[in-house]
Amino acid sequence: MKPHGTTLDGLPTDVASEPIIAWRVWALTGRRDGSDLLLRPVARRARTWQPRQVVEASCRSSRWHEAPEPLCTCGLHGTHGIEVLRKTKGPAVLGRVALWGRVIEHQHGFRAQFAYPQRLRLICQFCFWTTGARREAPRHVGWFPRGEMMPICDEHLAVARRHDVFPRSLVTADEVAQRLRDIYAVDALAI
Amino acid sequence: MDIGQPKRIIEIEPVTLPVPGEVVPDADPAPHPDREPTPARPEQRVP
Repeated sequence: MKPHGTTLDGLPTDVASEPIIAWRVWALTGRRDGSDLLLRPVARRARTWQPRQVVEASCRSSRWHEAPEPLCTCGLHGTHGIEVLRKTKGPAVLGRVALWGRVIEHQHGFRAQFAYPQRLRLICQFCFWTTGARREAPRHVGWFPRGEMMPICDEHLAVARRHDVFPRSLVTADEVAQRLRDIYAVDALAI
Repeated sequence: MDIGQPKRIIEIEPVTLPVPGEVVPDADPAPHPDREPTPARPEQRVP
């Protein structure tokens, strides 16, 4: 990586020819039979990530700058490690993401101009919040109204049942995971 | 999600895009593996 200079904000700039590979989580949407799967940022109003297409950042706060901008929070996010992602609301998929174009490196992650997923794994969000990503992969994916897909393990499915928060339908997680990898043409994430 | 303070900017122009089926628009086309190299025209030959 070549040092390049500094910006008006005082940030040093470098030039590189290899994408950065970072950690990221997504929400997942689809039909109740597990078809038409799409990755979606966990921020609800953000656009879905279309399969086999470069994802380009835009800023919802300002039309006057290109994303990512150093003084804004815009851009496609990735993190150095998994731990910081455990505070995310409603994660369904954990993965490695390639970031390129203009990338701003932060203390714990990145904001990028372009991105595409590289490896994906379904996660039970309750296991992820409580114990991290090293638990067994979830066995089910629940479907909720408005197409929200929630991978869930046996233990937390039983808890959801007891609290009357039960998905409208359930599909096999292995089937959804394979379909998701085929749609985006990526590999499985092994942890 | 808090990723902390910005540290630096990296301008990354990948040689190959990490997206299935996508190519970098300005990349030089790879030579065809079976094609013979084109001989230089007579006026280009070095005497």
